[in-house]
Amino acid sequence: MPTMFPASQVDGLIRTGGSCRVNVAVKAGFSCGDKIYVVNINPVTHTRLPQYVRGKRGVVVGDHGVFVFPDTNAELRGEKPQHVYSVMFTARDLWGDTTPANDKLYIDLFEDYIRHADPK
Amino acid sequence: MNGIHDLGGRHGMGPIDIDPEQPIFHAEWERRMFGMFILAFAGGHFNIDQFRSAIEQMQPSRYLESDYYEHWLHSLETWCIKNGSLTEEEIDQRMKKLAEGAP
Repeated sequence: MPTMFPASQVDGLIRTGGSCRVNVAVKAGFSCGDKIYVVNINPVTHTRLPQYVRGKRGVVVGDHGVFVFPDTNAELRGEKPQHVYSVMFTARDLWGDTTPANDKLYIDLFEDYIRHADPK
Repeated sequence: MNGIHDLGGRHGMGPIDIDPEQPIFHAEWERRMFGMFILAFAGGHFNIDQFRSAIEQMQPSRYLESDYYEHWLHSLETWCIKNGSLTEEEIDQRMKKLAEGAP
């Protein structure tokens, strides 16, 4: 079985919710303003990457810090801590030309899910 | 996995209920389910990503027809059976007793 969660922290967990933020220094591969595209992966195991953004192009607009990577952690293949970014997509890039031109979607994506659209 | 849980962009699912007045728990069993989750998590039966993963592997029609906390129950049972702290027979026996009016 995995490591026990200390009973002393249960009260805090209930009151404030849990966080998978990790307090380790990991170099950020992306900066605000970077144009990215999302990888097209279809794992049969757990992933936090929704189907509707796979293969789409977007822009990094924020860096939330470093978090446990759910895809590997769900399989007990390590925490693989990495940056999570806020990424902006236009609604038209996701849903086509019949959607309003000014609508945008912001979604948080782990670094493993994105690639530089314009390699430096 | 490309499961039924990934509903983003699907049509015909109806509006999202964002009533701020709705209760945290709709029934007493939901409150107990929340407590059981905390205890099982604190006891090391699963990590949060394993917990979500088991929910995604629910039979799709069952997933859509069941409540939020039923998804939690499914995952909790799944992991407790996997690690040997519960058996399906024990769950069935308990369900039978509850149906017969046991407290």
